[in-house]
Amino acid sequence: MSATEPDTNARGWWTTILTDIHFWVPVAVLMGGLLLLRFIR
Amino acid sequence: MPPALSSQFAPAIQDVSRSKKLQLLGILSGFAAGAWLGAAEAPTKLVSIGISPMVISLIMVIGVFLARWSLPALILGTSSVRADVRRAPHLVIWALLAGCLWAVANTLTIFAIRDIGLSIAFPLWNSNSLLGILWGFLFFNELRQAGWRRRAGVLGGALVMCVGATLLAIASSSGHGPAAHSLHGVWAALGAGILWGTMYIPYRKAYLTGMNPLSFVTFFSFGELGMMSILSVGSLGLVPLWQELLSARSVVFWLMLGGFVWVIGDIFQQYAAKYVGISRGIPLSNSNQLWGLLWGILVFGELHGRGSSIYLEVVGGSLLMMLGVGSIAFSSATGTEQTRWKDAAIRESDRYGVAAEFVEARMDGRRLLGESKPSRSALDWLLVVLATSVFVIFAAMARVPQMSLRWAPAALLIAVLFLLLAICGLALWRTTRFN
Repeated sequence: MSATEPDTNARGWWTTILTDIHFWVPVAVLMGGLLLLRFIR
Repeated sequence: MPPALSSQFAPAIQDVSRSKKLQLLGILSGFAAGAWLGAAEAPTKLVSIGISPMVISLIMVIGVFLARWSLPALILGTSSVRADVRRAPHLVIWALLAGCLWAVANTLTIFAIRDIGLSIAFPLWNSNSLLGILWGFLFFNELRQAGWRRRAGVLGGALVMCVGATLLAIASSSGHGPAAHSLHGVWAALGAGILWGTMYIPYRKAYLTGMNPLSFVTFFSFGELGMMSILSVGSLGLVPLWQELLSARSVVFWLMLGGFVWVIGDIFQQYAAKYVGISRGIPLSNSNQLWGLLWGILVFGELHGRGSSIYLEVVGGSLLMMLGVGSIAFSSATGTEQTRWKDAAIRESDRYGVAAEFVEARMDGRRLLGESKPSRSALDWLLVVLATSVFVIFAAMARVPQMSLRWAPAALLIAVLFLLLAICGLALWRTTRFN
């Protein structure tokens, strides 16, 4: 998983999070969940 | 990963006895989590007395919020939480994200229970274990070099659980459901499963980077309360929401209690995710399905008056799911697989700049050498007193809902819950001091 290879630069942890593919999977699922909730209501 | 980095953890890998003890602790935590999470769903049955699902979910989340701050303050003290955040501040973002996922999933479960009933909705959202296995394998090296027997145990167990869930879904769609919106209920339950399955990515991320479960849940609570407040206000509007909350004040205590019970289950679940990974921890805590079934049938008389074929489908499906859980429980991680977990931990600690020795100590359930012992301050006791006061105030307003409840089975189930709490809590304290 190249997006989670060790980061040797002193980047801010915000940048580190936003470039971590692991972060975007839950974000995408959360968006999907909100859409489903809207549909069901 | 360079071999030199893996060798940093060599002494810990050699400690086979400690490792086995932690694996057993994780399995025990998973079972205790199942019992408490299953019991927490019972108050949501109140949806049948005409309270909006959004309001029910919001009230439960308020109970959860109170518990997630007061329990960690009582067990370790907030100084421990602050120390964890100083070491790994990025995990606050992950905890908030996980909290948002939880809030949306929990709201979906309320709709699912309303539309297809507790006994059937439970196993559907418990499909989250399949996703947990997938994410654990893809992102955190779980089941890598585990050997065919253990892989078969986990994957086969998950497959059997899937068959059990399908059987229950068939029972739901055969027109015997309690409401006319059975398809919506099925979607809501499956959606909750996907959200909860994905929520374990932040969980595992946190524990591979050394965060204490008690610290993680503290920040998690802001995500869930914030998201739930947005959903409730967006759905109902501020004034109608307030009016609904006022009109529901006689049942607020029961729903907040449900949230409180959920947190106890979730804390055990967090320890399971920490010590046996998400691919095993989630299915184990999904034994809540059996507990939910027991509460639904014995206490709420949920399947009363239905045909025997429905009983067979629901009970058969549940037993299949439990068989799958058992198979997974007996497929604990070997030394080589745990080495791969530690490779993932090194990757995370390097990426986010967390000290390797801190991560190693926490994965081993120990404090870092020279790390100060956590202590409680006046602030911690204040949090405990405030949370308790809120519960006492709403308990004074509470009325027993006008529902047909069977109290003898309820008392028995509650006694079993407390027994599991004592056994698992003591085991965690003796082995890790909750580290």
